[in-house]
Amino acid sequence: MLLLFFLVYPLLVNVETSYMVYFFYTTFIYVALSQGWNLVAGYAGQVSLGQHAFFGIGCYVTAITWRAGWAGYFDPLGMFMSGMGAALVAVVIGWPLLAKLRGDYFSLGTLGLGEILRVIALRGGRFTEGAEGIGLPSSAYLSMSYYYYIALLIVIITLVSLWFLTHSNIGLALIAIREDETAAAANGINTLKYKILAFAVGAFITALCGSLDAYYTFHVHAGGAFNLNWIIIPILMTILGGVGTFWGPILGAFILATIFEMTNIWMPELHPIFSAAFIVLVTLFLPDGLISYLTGYKHQILQRLFFLNGYFKRGKERRGFKNMRSQN
Amino acid sequence: MVDHLLQVRNVDIFYGDAQAVWNVSFHVDERKIIALLGANGAGKSTLLNTISGFLKPKHGEILFSGKSIVKLKPEQVVSLGISHVPEGRRLFSRLTVLENLELGAYPSNTRPYLKESLDRAFNLFPILKERKNQSAGTLSGGEQQMVAIARALMARPVLLMLDEPSLGLAPLFVSLLFETIQAMNEEGVTILLVEQNVHQSLEIAKYAYVLQTGTLKMEGWGEELINNSDFQQAFLGMRG
Amino acid sequence: MAGFSSFSLFLQVFINGIFLGCMYGVAALGLSLIFGSMQIIFLAQGAVMILAAYCIYWIVTLTSIDPFFGFLLIIPVFLGFGWVIYKGLFQRVAKAGKNPSLLLAFGLMVLFEHLMSLIWTPNTRSVATNYSTSAFGLWDINISVTRFIVSIVALITTGIVFLFLKRTMVGKAVRGVSEDMQAAALLGISPNWISSVTFAIGIALAGIAGVATCITYAFDPYFGFLFSLKALIAVAFGGLGSVAGALLGGITLGVLESLSSYIISAGWADAVAYAAFLLILVFRPEGLIGRRSAQRA
Repeated sequence: MLLLFFLVYPLLVNVETSYMVYFFYTTFIYVALSQGWNLVAGYAGQVSLGQHAFFGIGCYVTAITWRAGWAGYFDPLGMFMSGMGAALVAVVIGWPLLAKLRGDYFSLGTLGLGEILRVIALRGGRFTEGAEGIGLPSSAYLSMSYYYYIALLIVIITLVSLWFLTHSNIGLALIAIREDETAAAANGINTLKYKILAFAVGAFITALCGSLDAYYTFHVHAGGAFNLNWIIIPILMTILGGVGTFWGPILGAFILATIFEMTNIWMPELHPIFSAAFIVLVTLFLPDGLISYLTGYKHQILQRLFFLNGYFKRGKERRGFKNMRSQN
Repeated sequence: MVDHLLQVRNVDIFYGDAQAVWNVSFHVDERKIIALLGANGAGKSTLLNTISGFLKPKHGEILFSGKSIVKLKPEQVVSLGISHVPEGRRLFSRLTVLENLELGAYPSNTRPYLKESLDRAFNLFPILKERKNQSAGTLSGGEQQMVAIARALMARPVLLMLDEPSLGLAPLFVSLLFETIQAMNEEGVTILLVEQNVHQSLEIAKYAYVLQTGTLKMEGWGEELINNSDFQQAFLGMRG
Repeated sequence: MAGFSSFSLFLQVFINGIFLGCMYGVAALGLSLIFGSMQIIFLAQGAVMILAAYCIYWIVTLTSIDPFFGFLLIIPVFLGFGWVIYKGLFQRVAKAGKNPSLLLAFGLMVLFEHLMSLIWTPNTRSVATNYSTSAFGLWDINISVTRFIVSIVALITTGIVFLFLKRTMVGKAVRGVSEDMQAAALLGISPNWISSVTFAIGIALAGIAGVATCITYAFDPYFGFLFSLKALIAVAFGGLGSVAGALLGGITLGVLESLSSYIISAGWADAVAYAAFLLILVFRPEGLIGRRSAQRA
């Protein structure tokens, strides 16, 4: 139902001037980013603080391939290469990090990753054009509705892949790893393989958003592409909604995006302080997320609202439980 | 009602939603050695952890010298005179033996007696005096158990709770351990002993309670239990 | 000595690295202590440091007292500050688990950064004294007076923390709690009390590192994050839970950065440090001089 609304909405308004279209566009990106982080941190329990590195990789791969003429404006190939580039880095970096490091050490390793890539982008000479960044031909701009629908498409791809990942054996393995990695390994789960998989898929999704952002801003520079906001805000949204839940990050993204937009309009200079104070308050008062308070029929209404029917979910879950039992 | 040193009354204990202990009552009298027996998962350690304040019973009461202790934090329970040697010893392996012992006398009401308590500990376990500057992680299992018990004694407990002290020890050490427990008891320390080692426990314990999957199955004097056919079947037979 | 025109130049770069590393060492020590008590990396460590730097900047600008008095002032204030943060925020959040604590630290970092940027503007600042530029020569090497004093302060601080942990009952309890919180509680040690003490000391150490920074380097509100990362790298070099390791790890990092920024270029020093960090995490997680595995579940 809501999906239908989002599909039709741009047809009803003047896309180029509508503030709501722009608002939904940014919110879609945040939903995808939040779910990218949620998959890694919420389901697999590996608290990555380096998703902004993948966002930046997405921006730069898109910009560089476009500049080199390998892919064009809104080129699916360019976006795919961005995603794959990030996934590749996730595997290469994630392998040693995930094999050797648990808990905070992994968080730290990933946090440093973004910083280091930012330094490399700044020092990359003509390849990344240093602090100036890469300018892209903004004359190519077509219409806001492309951005809107592509962002929506990314969200759908993200949600569908998240749904299938978490409602399959892979999801069970990830949750087992999150709950007790040693026990999961003892039960014959190849924990490293699943952790890398989740990390790479999360990176892919994040980089798609980065790629779209590059098309949107027509200017990729280190300060913007590797901005810490690309990790802070999604984490915040996920926690507000509920870590490790399917609906939580979506709910969190919509609520926070609304609040941010409102503060941005009314008191722009206080916006970052407000966001940070909000993180502190959320961890203090809602460490389990909003979704845990929405149980019973409220939860179902939310599901209906987001247009996914319960039958589908129950069927999958039944299969999931059976698998869990047979694994024990 | 007689004043017992420790009295556990009708406690139900849960881990989250899962109930681990059902309506268990028992009591420990001063200067006795009381054994709490049962197989793995019977709820023995759960009970000890509840007495020391890590877990809160959902129902029931725990009285120490007539006063309720269920609302206290673990560190407050220690100051009352209940010391708990946890399963697996839980020494600070990076600290030296001496530092481990000193921390045993951390509560403010026992700190003034630090020197005295140390002498007592080294008297009871002379080997520890030789090892005092070694880090605790480098000791053998038996020596580590000695440190764990000595550390608990540093708090000058009235009641000492030992959780599976003989686990993983060489037979020679086990006999020594039980002798030491008896010696401590003769010095006036009341002992609540949780064990799977039924025979040796019953040799030193005056009275024993038997737990099975979270409920109290039987209780009795050592002799009685050993000759009880149900008990033989449940423990001695199964373990033999 | 590739790239160095003379041995004394090499020595100069090396010594500068040690001075820089002493500051990393103090910050790393705080990070390591807080990790011991809460099992989280306190990401806001660098932001707290810069907060101290701004406080000193403010006091020096307003009253023109000597910045070295700042050490005396910052230590009690930041001990109290750390205590309040722990009691008001972390003690509560710690119950919900490690991830919320980590995120709380993250939120605090962003909050501090932006508050500082609002109050003191995002411009780069530095604290100047009339002896800022004075130096004394040792053989062919120039040694800056301020950096020299700051390094001595760092060494003394480390020494005091070392003695505190080794000799006092509370210090021993801090080490005990960091190893096994439950076992400590069974001995009558209140983990909450010990954690708040530890946290307060960790924040005070960040304050000391911040004062040291503002005397010797220019800083801006966002400088702290990089410093948190550096402190963390220093901890990884030295091995968690080791006081001497934190200082030595810091010095190793300082020298590594100083040398690589001279040999390659200043901008790449961070990348070299990070690469070394990854290598150490992967191949020697117990640190260069540590002996315990850093892999905690």
